[in-house]
Amino acid sequence: MSNINIAKAPENYAVLPFYATAAFFFLLLSLLLFISAGELGGHYFHPRLLAIVHTATLGWGTMIIYGASYELLPVLCENDLYSSPLALCSWMVLTAGILLLAPSFWFFSTGPVMITGGALVLLSALLFLFNTIRTAGSCRAYTAQKCFMISAAVWLVITASIGLLLAVNLRYPFLQVNHLQILKLHAHAGIAGWFLQLVTGVSAKLIPMFLLGKSTKKGLLTTAFILQNAGLLLFMADGFTIRALFYGLLIIAGIICWLCYLYDAFRSRVRKAIDLPMQHTALSFICLLLSVIMIPFVWHDGKWGVLYGTLILLGWITAIILGKTFKTLPFIIWNQRYKHLNGKVNVPLPKQLYSSPLLKFQYGSYILALLTLCTGIITRHHLTLQIAAGIWIVTALSYNVNVLKIIFHKR
Amino acid sequence: MTISISDPHFEDKTKAIEVLYQVIDPELFVNVIDLGLIYDLNMETEGKIIVTMTLSTPHCPMGEAITMGVENALSAAFPGKETEIILTWEPAWDFTRLTEEGKRQLDIMS
Repeated sequence: MSNINIAKAPENYAVLPFYATAAFFFLLLSLLLFISAGELGGHYFHPRLLAIVHTATLGWGTMIIYGASYELLPVLCENDLYSSPLALCSWMVLTAGILLLAPSFWFFSTGPVMITGGALVLLSALLFLFNTIRTAGSCRAYTAQKCFMISAAVWLVITASIGLLLAVNLRYPFLQVNHLQILKLHAHAGIAGWFLQLVTGVSAKLIPMFLLGKSTKKGLLTTAFILQNAGLLLFMADGFTIRALFYGLLIIAGIICWLCYLYDAFRSRVRKAIDLPMQHTALSFICLLLSVIMIPFVWHDGKWGVLYGTLILLGWITAIILGKTFKTLPFIIWNQRYKHLNGKVNVPLPKQLYSSPLLKFQYGSYILALLTLCTGIITRHHLTLQIAAGIWIVTALSYNVNVLKIIFHKR
Repeated sequence: MTISISDPHFEDKTKAIEVLYQVIDPELFVNVIDLGLIYDLNMETEGKIIVTMTLSTPHCPMGEAITMGVENALSAAFPGKETEIILTWEPAWDFTRLTEEGKRQLDIMS
């Protein structure tokens, strides 16, 4: 074969543990929601809500994003992953960190356990950043997507560092400013730095690829990169002042540029049919736009803050993951089981590795769960919240069944 | 890719194309011939088949599976011959390379 690097997929041990663990944390998150449905109508700084939020952001969102990133970095950077063993290390450290952190929040046990959990999460972020930089660094081609991947990893380190400071501050108060103000910086570095920039970079590569469409408006992505980072840097430097709305507008302009790029690729697509995983993605953008619209209301804490966080974590991030899992995981397993048989014998297609009816069911129950939960938060109606949490468990179970079916697929 | 009837290897190349119809791009669910991924088949060298081909997306994680599929299919059809694959991004693959059957299978907009 020619010496063109076609970016071999990383070792499965560098990817699969993240998918399996994330699925477990999604189920755990749903159970925690069910147990503490009553707290969802209140203030976000509640031990149980903090535990739920960290299970969602770290155990569910970050966990699966690490795994997917290790699989997709070679595609984005046009280079093999720098180190699969390092990727596995980041999984161990992250899992250990969450297992210490989440119970510490739940029982609000500030001190060494919470601090150790925070330190482990920071260590995993550093490992992820190192692997990303080493993989991207040896690539000659400049792409906005690659820049987004690196900046996202940097923002994750910043988010985890602030989080660790906050964990220390809870036990040994040393911060001169209000803990909640720093908490908002921590949250937004995570949302607009880590999640937004990573999703922007990855989706700008994958969505045109899946739709068989392309956009020539690369400038939109570069502008998105500058605006998202400028807005967030100014926000972090200036704090949660009235000027934060202006910085928010910069980030929103960056989001709009990114969405315009995707829309251009969508418009030029040659593939008519939009499959179910891509419909999940479309739904995620709606949730993102709704949460952006909500930003002015977040100024006032309470239920609107909780609704904003719900739309971000259980709307935007979760919808993307629920869809993209079935655009990546079946291919990873298929590559392992059937790559060497391709062309020799008839092999199943990657989409035949999971149950499509169950995925359809998951899509429906997810929409119902999200709508019911949002209604419950707005109305502060306990029974509605409890029903919503029950539907979340059903959604998580159907997701877990399909994920396990793929992972344990036998030839 | 077209084969001239006057090509001295017409028969073997036709056979090669026939077997390459069995090699599927796992992401697009279409075979490599209807996708237009095969740019050239060279059988000039004795005991060797040189395939010049591309991928629908450079550095696609499925790339290795596709090139391996091409190698497997040709090795099975031509047991005495070695298969060499030359991957190229020039010219880059685009939708115009799809055959009519490929377009139909992808449910592509006219």
